[in-house]
Amino acid sequence: MKLEIKDLRASVEGKEILKGVNLTIGQGETHALMGPNGSGKSTLAYTLMGHPKYQVTSGQVTVDGENLLGLTPDKRVKKGLFLAFQYPVSVQGVSMFSFLRAAYNNSRPAGTEPPTIFEFKETVAQKLKMLSMDDSFLSRYLNEGFSGGEKKRAEILQMALMQPKFAVLDETDSGLDIDALRIVAEGINTVSGPQTGTLLITHYQRILKYVKPQFVHVMYQGRIIESGGEELSRLLEEKGYTWIQGYKEEEQVAQQTP
Amino acid sequence: MSQKAVSSFDEDLVRSISASLDEPAWLTSSRLDAFRQFAALPPEKNPLYTKYVSTFSFPLDRFKIIPGRSEIDFRSFFQGFLTGKEKDIILQGNETQVHTELSRDLESQGVRLMSFHAALKQEEAAIRKLIEGRLVKSGSDRFAAFVNAFFSGGTFVRVPTGVSLDRPLRRMLLLDSPSTSIVEQTFVIAEEEAKLVYLEELYSKGVPSPAFVASTTEVLARPGSHVDFSSIQLLGDRTTHVSNRGIETSNDSKATLSSLSLGAEVSRSRTNFFLNGRGSLAEGFEIFFTDGKQRYDYETNLVHNSPDSTGSTQARGVLKGESQSIFKGMIKIVNAAKNSRSYLAHHAMLLERTAKSDGVPSLEIDNNEVRATHSASVAQIDEEQLFYLMARGLSQDEAKKMVVLGFFEPVLSRVPIEQTREGARFMIEGKWQGEKRRLADRETLLAETGELTPEVKETEDIFERHYKYR
Ligand SMILES: Nc1ncnc2c1ncn2[C@@H]1O[C@H](COP(=O)(O)OP(=O)(O)OP(=O)(O)O)[C@@H](O)[C@H]1O
Ligand SMILES: [Mg+2]
Repeated sequence: MKLEIKDLRASVEGKEILKGVNLTIGQGETHALMGPNGSGKSTLAYTLMGHPKYQVTSGQVTVDGENLLGLTPDKRVKKGLFLAFQYPVSVQGVSMFSFLRAAYNNSRPAGTEPPTIFEFKETVAQKLKMLSMDDSFLSRYLNEGFSGGEKKRAEILQMALMQPKFAVLDETDSGLDIDALRIVAEGINTVSGPQTGTLLITHYQRILKYVKPQFVHVMYQGRIIESGGEELSRLLEEKGYTWIQGYKEEEQVAQQTP
Repeated sequence: MSQKAVSSFDEDLVRSISASLDEPAWLTSSRLDAFRQFAALPPEKNPLYTKYVSTFSFPLDRFKIIPGRSEIDFRSFFQGFLTGKEKDIILQGNETQVHTELSRDLESQGVRLMSFHAALKQEEAAIRKLIEGRLVKSGSDRFAAFVNAFFSGGTFVRVPTGVSLDRPLRRMLLLDSPSTSIVEQTFVIAEEEAKLVYLEELYSKGVPSPAFVASTTEVLARPGSHVDFSSIQLLGDRTTHVSNRGIETSNDSKATLSSLSLGAEVSRSRTNFFLNGRGSLAEGFEIFFTDGKQRYDYETNLVHNSPDSTGSTQARGVLKGESQSIFKGMIKIVNAAKNSRSYLAHHAMLLERTAKSDGVPSLEIDNNEVRATHSASVAQIDEEQLFYLMARGLSQDEAKKMVVLGFFEPVLSRVPIEQTREGARFMIEGKWQGEKRRLADRETLLAETGELTPEVKETEDIFERHYKYR
């Protein structure tokens, strides 16, 4: 089983942001996606999830050979896709509990009986514990007044309940303190065993100490311009993106010179 | 009593209504006074509707204003609307046929729950005092004058001094016949140190047909008393609904109004809270959800006439289709009302570009030692919220429903009456799904939904927020 992205182009409000993205994520693999601010990482994440503002102009996205493009976000969830938001949205008046329950019930395989309220409470309690989150979160409004780090934990809580086949985690490590980073990273590892493919969007190498990627990709101006192993993230951390920019430009010049 | 079709509104009609109800002369002349004010007041204008710019242009001649005497069987008429376990309830099916059930223990404590005219027979002097000191004045509002002149029935509720009721008193109006018109007055009185909860429910059943419901309601919370008044309106699609309410608090008393409006084609409502006692408290929680071509015109004012009084009104509405609403509200604090606090908020959510809503809050303050603020907003449903929920597997419809139900919560969760709170959620959800539901008790809710989702209680103190006027 794999998530395949082929020559994906997408625009927002008439402006092309993704300019031909190619990426394949296999089951059990962890890919890190890095790249400067504004390079299109979140746009890729939103486009994969089917945000209505992002128009796909060409290319393909498939899970297990099945086309995802054209499906509404909820249908993509049913194909096993999950997105942890860079900026989780808060919704007043909707309790975390009823939201999680709806998410849980809607991501379960078709034809299975939804759990009773008691069974569900037990399931959530386990996941909360895993992420060192307090029960009191359940009786708060969805993400309302949550600190940055609490929101990120809550995203992984949702992932843990929904058990996706492919998870895109958009800067889930940003805004976490040192302990929280470890807890969340361990949570990600626990949830995303050998059944899950993970695309970890990040700016920092520190999370990669816990969540070990087999592949690291660099996005620049709407394209993946470099892919490699874990060593690529170390190089980036040392030298910064200007290095890879310069390096790519040199490469292009070299190619053009006969 | 004759069954007379009304073709015009004149003094003769006033006299004939009064005579057919066997009323004392003072009431007839009070009606005539109201009629003169009605005739003198200019037609009301509002951008939302054209239908009853003048009540005369409303096709009232098709409506019977005096009921016939044909008896209905209440048990079968209210089937599906009652569980059979109701205890203290006054039922009305169409025009003025009334059926009352009041437990013996309440009756022996002096609790009154009866039709207006039954009360008039029993205690004319007390009723006369109420009518002469009306809160809903004929001179201030044309529809108030209309009801005060032409009312053909009503409800009288009183809980005597020191009596505290632990279960609600209820009143249900159910319409099913075409061209029904209800013109009525309600008095709800908590005497000193009394405590009561009153649930009013207005429904229609059967094929939607034109109907007209006009009412005035007076709620009097005497010193040290506490009244929780709840009003649920789910009248039929072709009903015009006009309501005027006056709610008065006295020294150290408390009155709350929780209203849920889902029905009627046009609904026009005025509520005035009069904080007439030192240290008194008045709270309004108003919720509406409209669709199709529904038109709601609501106004709620907080009038602080006494020091140390606290008043608030919070309204939230969601509009679908081509429905429209306007919500006006004013905080008025007189010079004598120092150390008063007042809060007025109106928030509306639009589900379609075709829906419209306006909020017009205002302040009129004559004392500097007060705190008052208002807020209003009208916004389209948030696409990012919908995307977030859909990214968690909810269909678009489920996502919208969740956002809409959530939108009501900051107000709904503060409603002091459990049955109204839980029932309102159930009814709103029903309307979302195109089902007409009624206010159900917890047992029925549990039977129908299997479970109740745990509530999140809004705890933020509204008076801790930013103040525009301090
Ligand atoms: N809804 C939108 N409207 C207008 N422009 C947008 C929108 N979404 C993204 N963009 C633009 O697309 C570009 C890529 O943004 P994107 O959020 O994908 O970057 P990113 O790589 O995730 O950056 P960061 O590291 O800062 O999160 C930016 O120039 C951004 O301004
Ligand atoms: Mg981003």
